[in-house]
Amino acid sequence: MQTSKSILLLSLCFVALLLLSLSLGSVYIPFTEVLKALSFQSLDNETWQYIIQNYRLPKTVTSILVGGALSLCGLLMQTLFRNPLAGPYVLGLSSGASLGVALVVLGSSSLGFGLSAEISERWIIVLASSLGSFLVMLSILATAKRLKDTMALLIIGLMFSSITSAIVNVLSFFSSSDELQKYIFWSLGSLGNLSWSEIGLLSICCGLGILLSIILIKPLNALLMGEHYATSLGINIKQTRLLVITATCLMAGAITAFAGPIAFIGLAVPHLTRQLVKTTNHIILVPSVVLFGASLLLLCDSIAELPFSELSLPINAVTSIIGAPVVIWLLVKQKYIRF
Amino acid sequence: MKYFFYILCIALVLGCQNSSKETTKIEAKQLGYSVKHAKGFSIEVYKDFAIIEVEKPWPNSNKNYRYLVQYTSTHDQVKGNFDAIISAPISSYILSSTTHIPSAESLGILDNLVGFPNTDFISSKEARKRINKDYITDIGQNQQLNTELVLNLKPDVFVGFSVDGANKAYSVFEKAGIPIIYNGDWVESTPLGKAEWIKFFGALFNKNKLAQQKFEAIEDAYYKTKQLETSAKKKPKVISGSLYNDKWYLPNGTSWQAQFIKDAHADYIYKDTSGSGSLALAFESVLNKASEADIWISPGSYTSYEAMLNDQPHYKKFKAFSTKTVYSVAQQKGETGGVLFYELAPNRPDLVLKDLVKIFHPELLPNYNLHFFSPLQ
Repeated sequence: MQTSKSILLLSLCFVALLLLSLSLGSVYIPFTEVLKALSFQSLDNETWQYIIQNYRLPKTVTSILVGGALSLCGLLMQTLFRNPLAGPYVLGLSSGASLGVALVVLGSSSLGFGLSAEISERWIIVLASSLGSFLVMLSILATAKRLKDTMALLIIGLMFSSITSAIVNVLSFFSSSDELQKYIFWSLGSLGNLSWSEIGLLSICCGLGILLSIILIKPLNALLMGEHYATSLGINIKQTRLLVITATCLMAGAITAFAGPIAFIGLAVPHLTRQLVKTTNHIILVPSVVLFGASLLLLCDSIAELPFSELSLPINAVTSIIGAPVVIWLLVKQKYIRF
Repeated sequence: MKYFFYILCIALVLGCQNSSKETTKIEAKQLGYSVKHAKGFSIEVYKDFAIIEVEKPWPNSNKNYRYLVQYTSTHDQVKGNFDAIISAPISSYILSSTTHIPSAESLGILDNLVGFPNTDFISSKEARKRINKDYITDIGQNQQLNTELVLNLKPDVFVGFSVDGANKAYSVFEKAGIPIIYNGDWVESTPLGKAEWIKFFGALFNKNKLAQQKFEAIEDAYYKTKQLETSAKKKPKVISGSLYNDKWYLPNGTSWQAQFIKDAHADYIYKDTSGSGSLALAFESVLNKASEADIWISPGSYTSYEAMLNDQPHYKKFKAFSTKTVYSVAQQKGETGGVLFYELAPNRPDLVLKDLVKIFHPELLPNYNLHFFSPLQ
């Protein structure tokens, strides 16, 4: 009863925040006009129509995909490693992506190659980021096949992060201030400015990841009891591990490529959701986490836009500044962590 | 009382001894060189020496830096505390910003330049010749200077700059006896104020008269171009900057760039904004406010319409983009990729203004060819 109430509440919040995100921005557009534009009727003010249909709508869809999928990645990783500190980037995916981006953005000064004006800079960054994540994913999968212990993977992920961040530091050391600024802006994350074709690609990756997660619900529940218990239930641990890693890499890799490394959401949302729905059953957790994550990122994006002011904030600043105190307050209030 | 009398006698004797010592006379009558537009420095020029006072080497600095430049060798110290004392003539020196290069070139002192951080950024043909012949050593990057190379060059003076006064390498150089002189041309917010820093180099290298003449020529050309606006028929609306991720970066209304647009008799859409550094605005507000701008200048590093569209399809919603009235400085580059505008524009505001008048009001300068800007391909 409590659970169904919570899911209903989450769904209502999601719809409200979706409409809020579409109606709030630097430019004030009356709500009736927003609804008109969303139903593809033509508005008198052509700029408003363009802003809603070609800027706010793609940004809102991106927020939903990124928020939902990253939170799900966090849940998968926390369950796989049975570690409340695990997040979507624990395997070193964002580090791989960062290295890819650093090589093309910062590489021109230190390595003598870099961005060329002929190919769109955005696509180069997307490709570099995907390639970086993909190579890390292949290394992780190859390692996962050989390892018996899941915890060792966690250490290997951390080692990957250390290696890549060291290389990024060296590249930064030899870069010009403009290049550094570009790289830092990328690392702050951005939900806006994705074209519909990019959103299509992102949706496919996130959709596949969510589908895999749904298939994995039973083994994930078994994993909560520990690997030995799961094996006694007839769960193939190695196969489950590979599928969980594949789902996470697909989602987190695509998100990092298109939106940059979005902080905090993936780590915190699974905890917040568990506190809300009061269960650790993945049948409830998987859809709830996706809904919660999408709603939270929609809220963060609405705040980051600083409605009715011309200025706006980078999304990562908002996710952590707003999110972290909320999690701290919640955990202190609840007195224990449900995990 | 008796003791007091003896002490007085001894003091008088000692005093007479001191005053009878021969002194070298220092010319203490100021020559008529002064600073009119720049807010960041002042100069007092005498026949035998000059005092340069840098009041704003970086934003919010709370210390004035005073430098003494001695033009003649004299054993007498000019009274006062100085952050560095330099003896002219200077036979070797290091500069730290490309904006210093044009002053050195027009004062004819490039031959003594021995070091520069990241020489690839330099566009000046004269300077490039000397770099290619290895007369100018690359001393690393501004924030990571190669200390050993600088110590080895042991210049008579290092003309540095700082964004916040914290530069560890500089204190090492000072300990090694290399005088550091801060140049704050980049903090200056007016076109003529930036250009007037040529007088800083004039005072430093005892080329005051030449610096004055060069600056007056630039000032005169600037005012003459500005006068043209009286016959301008229209006042086009102007937008600047470009999108990065989903933020639009553009100069604020009190910036150097905005001043140029105003002086070229155009209406910069963000003229009423203020602040330090560039503005980072939400895309939708810029689209709402500036989509009808007639002319778009300096759209980041883009050099073609195709590149802009590949990067951001939103650009097509701007009138200036569809009417092909976008002008950029990114196409005029030096031999090794440094953008000419960043190096020469602060020194030659007259050329920047002429460029903008030509872009905004082509009928006023029919025979003028653009120097920094060019239409996008």
